[in-house]
Amino acid sequence: MIHWKFGTAALLSAALAGGSVVFLAATPLFAQETVKLELWSRQDPSGPLRPGNVVKAAERLNKELEAEGSPKRVEVVVRESPAKGFDDDALQLLKVFGVGEGPDMFIAAHEWICAFQEDGFALKLDDYIAKYPQHFGTIFPSLWSSAKCPDGTYAIPQDAEARMFFYNKKLLREAGYDAAFVDSMPERTLSGDLTMDEVLDIAKKVVDKTKAQYGVLHRPNKGPDYIMVFNAYGNEFVDPQSGKLLLERDKLAAAFGWFERGVKNGVIPANNTAMEFDALRKEFYSGNAAFWMYGIWDLGSVAFPTYGLPQDEKAFFADWGWIAGPAPEKGGSPVSLTHPIVYVIAADTKEPELAVRLLGHASAADLNTDHAVTTTHLGIKPEQLEDPRYAKAWPLARATELLKITKFLPNNSQFGELNGIIYAGIQGIESGRLSAQQAADFVIEEASASLEDVIVK
Amino acid sequence: MTTTADELMIERRGHAGSVARRRMNFVIFLGPAIVLTVLFFAVPVIIDVAVSFTDLSRSLRISEFTTEQYEKVFRTDRRLSQVIWLTFIYVFGTLAIFNVTFGLILAITTTAIRNVSGSFFRGVWLLPRMSPSVLYILLWLWAVSPTEAGLVNQVLMQAFGLDAPLDLLTSAPIALIIISNGFIGASMGMIIFTAAIRGIPEHLFHAAAVDGAGTLATIRFITLPALRWPISFVTIYQTLSLLVSFEYILLLTKGGPFYDTTVYALYVYRRAFESGQYGYGAALALFLIVIGVVVALIGWRFFDMERLLQRPRIEVH
Repeated sequence: MIHWKFGTAALLSAALAGGSVVFLAATPLFAQETVKLELWSRQDPSGPLRPGNVVKAAERLNKELEAEGSPKRVEVVVRESPAKGFDDDALQLLKVFGVGEGPDMFIAAHEWICAFQEDGFALKLDDYIAKYPQHFGTIFPSLWSSAKCPDGTYAIPQDAEARMFFYNKKLLREAGYDAAFVDSMPERTLSGDLTMDEVLDIAKKVVDKTKAQYGVLHRPNKGPDYIMVFNAYGNEFVDPQSGKLLLERDKLAAAFGWFERGVKNGVIPANNTAMEFDALRKEFYSGNAAFWMYGIWDLGSVAFPTYGLPQDEKAFFADWGWIAGPAPEKGGSPVSLTHPIVYVIAADTKEPELAVRLLGHASAADLNTDHAVTTTHLGIKPEQLEDPRYAKAWPLARATELLKITKFLPNNSQFGELNGIIYAGIQGIESGRLSAQQAADFVIEEASASLEDVIVK
Repeated sequence: MTTTADELMIERRGHAGSVARRRMNFVIFLGPAIVLTVLFFAVPVIIDVAVSFTDLSRSLRISEFTTEQYEKVFRTDRRLSQVIWLTFIYVFGTLAIFNVTFGLILAITTTAIRNVSGSFFRGVWLLPRMSPSVLYILLWLWAVSPTEAGLVNQVLMQAFGLDAPLDLLTSAPIALIIISNGFIGASMGMIIFTAAIRGIPEHLFHAAAVDGAGTLATIRFITLPALRWPISFVTIYQTLSLLVSFEYILLLTKGGPFYDTTVYALYVYRRAFESGQYGYGAALALFLIVIGVVVALIGWRFFDMERLLQRPRIEVH
């Protein structure tokens, strides 16, 4: 009997001891907590590393957490949206947040962040940015202004770029312009000597004297590039005092007038807004158009890989080039537009600190340079300029020259909608349904009827 | 002595049918249909009415109940009158040219020729309806492409010596949406009219032929009178269908150039889903429902549908 009791006790003790060893050995595994952070990103071939860098950043953050002895580990889940552009994507995401299904972080065009902030979907980042200078301290100060809403910073700049008028030098020479004239256009534009109307004149000569069918082509959907023309004619769209949307009839009519003259002279096609994006690019890069109003990343994303434009700097500039948005009249100011894409953190994320640190690692100079050099976008930190890969990517260095005169779209929560109305105005003019003055009236009427707090002058 | 009507009632209900059993049958046979009707027809209208009295906007949040959307409809939306006029032209044009007239011509001609050939042509005209919308419109986009590669331009330039390619999407967008919708719409009328023509007793045609009636006289005095009911039905049904459908227009012209082909239903879509003004879109959609009901009632009265829907006066024994 005693033996039996002894044996049972021994067995129980052994089982307990063994169990404890197993439990103790397994403790770190049980204690480790995986935090899933969801990132919303549109499927965008012009920037696959925007989400890609966040995924890579998770590895770095996890190493850091391990070194700190934190039990938390981060896993990034990318939720891709099929939206065609950042405007459609933002409208879709606002609905997703509206029904309480929002992600922890998202990638957006900067002009939309105040729409998210206004509805309480975006996290205010000022304190976090100050807390992590190792991640955010060296980001170009000018880029931060694209990440601000009236009461603070709500986003982290992810990249920048420059918008310009690309032009086909070969066609200009064929039209009778000498090489010196053609090569001096960028300089003349920056000095305010080349005007918006001269661009139309040059384009007209190309259409008249060469086989090229088109003078100036622009994007066929709502977006930022054509706003450059409106900026050139003095439209700022936001009242600096009140921050409200501002529409100035004369300045709007002046900008629309440029499109009107372009169409009347047979330089801008009447069906530009009905054409497909790829078709427009094909027309320009295959030598059927003199100018193409777009952005620097088009070189890395499409022109080099798809249309075989020379990747060597010298060879490229022999037949191709770009100018900033010219001044409206001689001696005026040229313009360029940069359209930063930003990372935003959701106001209701359960792990704001981890999300900030994660995006901090995603903003590391080396990762951002990967994105910059593979898609021809401008970097966000000065240390990227020292990276040999960045230095080798000549379009970036050359496009950086335009940053001196660059502007942003206004960070107003209603600008996305206003831009849709402006685009409809351009469509009205190009298709011959509206005159420039009628288009200005149309924009003011539509904006006053459908948007709030619009100041009209 | 019982009347025919009484006999029919007894036959339908059964002599021993209890009230409970009748109720049970009602639930079993009509219940699913009633639930579906309420869920997919009545509830959306109720939701639409409710949303139209809110400020529901791009983030799907409601901060207040308001009549602001109706003020916009009646006071500030200057585009609306143009949109309604365009919708009238589109619906009337598509109906008058294709869905009724062309459908009728197709039915009459394909029943007048040999059966095999008639079936073949009807099959050809059914193809657009059987194709997926996107594929059908892609073919249209190729056909009217403003370049020399477009089918229409190839024909015009090579066969008729046209100098420069035409851009029909910019110069004739309304005609294009009528034609592209009409090619599909005509097939429905064609099928219904064909079935009705086939239902006309053969001896009437023989009698007309004996009396010396020509083709046109036969169509006028025998075929068309027999088609009154199908013509009325197709007209009302297709009117309502055209009022609310916009997918082909959205795919072909996106409502443009400018607002040239933005019909009412597409306008509602653009306001609600492209601008994020859901409350306003709901108010506009409510008017579409009202317009639909009014059009249906006018059609009902105009075509005297009540009489057409009466029980046939044929005695059944």
